[in-house]
Amino acid sequence: MKCSVCDRESVQEGFCELHKKAYENVLKKYDLWKKALEISWKEYLSEVAKNPLTGEWAREVAEYLRKSGDN
Amino acid sequence: MGKYTLVVTEKPDAAQRIASALDSRGKAKKMEDNGVPYYIANRDRKIVVVPALGHLYTVAGERSGRNYYPVFNFRWVPRYVAERGAKQIRTWIETISKLAKDADLFVDACDYDIEGSIIGYCVLKYACGNKENVSKRMKYSTLTKGELEKSYAELLPRLDFALIEAGRARHEVDWLYGVNLSRALTMSARDWSGKYATLSTGRVQGPTLKFLVAREKAIRCFVPIPFWSIKAEIEIAGSIFEAEYEKTTIETKKEADAAIKACKGKNGKIEKIDIKKFRQMPPKPFDLGALQSEAYSLFGYTPMRTSNIAQRLYLAALISYPRTSSQKLPQSINYKTILKNLSKVSQYKKLAAELLVKEQLKPNEGKKEDPAHPAIYPTGNLPEGELDDSERKLWDLVVRRFMSVFGEPALRQSVKVSINVAGHRFHLRGRQTLEEGWLRFYGPYVRSEEVLLPPIKEGQAVRVKKVILEDKFVKPPPRYNPASLLKMMEKAEIGTKATRAGIIQTLYDRKYIRDERMIVTDLGFEVLEVLEKYCPAVVSVKLTKELEEKMNKIQLNSEKRENILVDAVEILKPVVEKLKEKEKVIGEQLSKAIKRARIEERIIGACPICKTGKLMILYSRKTGKRFIGCTNYFKNLCKTSFPLPQKGTVRPTGKMCRRCDWPMVLVRIRGRRPWNLCFNPDCPLKEERRERRKDE
Repeated sequence: MKCSVCDRESVQEGFCELHKKAYENVLKKYDLWKKALEISWKEYLSEVAKNPLTGEWAREVAEYLRKSGDN
Repeated sequence: MGKYTLVVTEKPDAAQRIASALDSRGKAKKMEDNGVPYYIANRDRKIVVVPALGHLYTVAGERSGRNYYPVFNFRWVPRYVAERGAKQIRTWIETISKLAKDADLFVDACDYDIEGSIIGYCVLKYACGNKENVSKRMKYSTLTKGELEKSYAELLPRLDFALIEAGRARHEVDWLYGVNLSRALTMSARDWSGKYATLSTGRVQGPTLKFLVAREKAIRCFVPIPFWSIKAEIEIAGSIFEAEYEKTTIETKKEADAAIKACKGKNGKIEKIDIKKFRQMPPKPFDLGALQSEAYSLFGYTPMRTSNIAQRLYLAALISYPRTSSQKLPQSINYKTILKNLSKVSQYKKLAAELLVKEQLKPNEGKKEDPAHPAIYPTGNLPEGELDDSERKLWDLVVRRFMSVFGEPALRQSVKVSINVAGHRFHLRGRQTLEEGWLRFYGPYVRSEEVLLPPIKEGQAVRVKKVILEDKFVKPPPRYNPASLLKMMEKAEIGTKATRAGIIQTLYDRKYIRDERMIVTDLGFEVLEVLEKYCPAVVSVKLTKELEEKMNKIQLNSEKRENILVDAVEILKPVVEKLKEKEKVIGEQLSKAIKRARIEERIIGACPICKTGKLMILYSRKTGKRFIGCTNYFKNLCKTSFPLPQKGTVRPTGKMCRRCDWPMVLVRIRGRRPWNLCFNPDCPLKEERRERRKDE
């Protein structure tokens, strides 16, 4: 099976080795954002996706999750 | 010519300097044989000084050809046998052999380090006909007349065989790693795709790439976390100062808003003034790593460039031997004489005089030592000719650092003013130099900020002009640059001072990384993934460091070269077998990465017309001419195309035009300065330029 974001083979949760790490990071950081800004998961994903400091893979994962409506 | 002493040096410049220094009239005669220069000096007897051209011999496989692996049998051969384009080496060796025939005394005067020792050893053994055991050794750290004469008068009775063995081990182990792993990668990819691309890795290159990939992954997976900070503009004695909120990081917007609300429109009162005086010690003398790091941060020179400039300054006898890891300056270099000579330069006159009146000159040395050389210092010789800009800058840096290490500690004062605004505390900070000490000698290279505060006292009321809330985010870890990567390699103790800069350059040359703030390419990721998956031992920093430590022990006579080679082969054998077994899978993975890397190299940016495709450099099948086209052309969605210059090279810059925001390309044509080209025919900048030309 291919990674949901790129052409590499998926290893877990539909992501390849590289995007899996980014996915875990996106999940992990939500608690801090929620505490800081009191925002929803969807709002969080939008914020992360448009932040220029977000890493390339984390942005791709955030965009994918936002578009796929994963909550 | 009669019998004479044959002195072998590492490079032609050094030969000329040594010959002139040893000639009793200071005028050695330059000779040439088949384009190879050598010098005749007369002292108590005739001396012929002949240079090598760096390494004349190298390690090569016993079997010829490059299309096979594993390969564990090797020998030392002239470089022209192993390398294409090293033809000049043949005449060089022939000349040395010819000169060796009539010599009855041999002196190795190559640089006193691992590389120099190997160069001298090989020349004496192979070109001079097994003279390595009867040869004497010159040991010096500067190419000044005084030191060279002293070194010749006090010749070491034999070569430093421990250093030579350490050098041989290093070259042989590195060759075993490099040739086997690089051939495995290159041939796997070539056999799978039918296309050739040089891929390489090595004993130090692999672990270095691993550092870069780890950092790249952290950056690409990075999710910034929001935080807030608050600043207050405080008016004191008619001037505005910026004070920081007591909590530098506020984690929730709620808390930040509450603090702002509480402070807005309120005035403050100075609660406390903390004054601290502290001494700032002079810097340590330069070792090569520290010089490279300082030159990068001050002038932007890459470690490789600094190393090359320093080598030129050394060959011009302006500074001591630069490839040193020492932070020590022994008294024997004669501090006072150096300072006296430097005082002949107007800009150093006053500074040197200040040091010369000191009763005792004691450098602020560091802990690091080097058995062969002291730290880098100016010889006191002044430039004979015009130095180029980079040489002048680096020499000035070495001179000023040398003087600084003898300076007094600087006395500095920091002031922390606590201001209470509606129960919230803000800090105002000042910094001031009370006694300059060594800072005066380092002059333009000092990086310390002075923030002077007006007279204030505790209990004083102050006006808060503004309270500012700043939205911030935690930043991703910084990318490595050539200097910080070099530091990391030093810290991890992989590679040597002489090889690290070259290894970084190889990573660029192989296209595993790009840009000054290093970005790992897809190809870099894939190569490391292959190595980590099939042979983690060769990218292990721990194993590399252990091997490094063992090799250092050879230098101390507590380990044997043969044992190290056996260890290396034991590590490599199973690794290469595994690579061979998985050749097809590896070949496919690497070939796809090479293909992606080649495409990536040609992608310029998003197509500004269709917004969904990407612009890339393409070649017309009909005419072979290059142009810019959209990737959506192949899907019949976008026909955008732009012409490109046909001469020279064109590559994406990753930058956007400042006027039209279109991606730009960098054009390089031989003999012209490279320029950034905006290929948008309607870019307003072009129109403005045309107008300007008309007006002129």
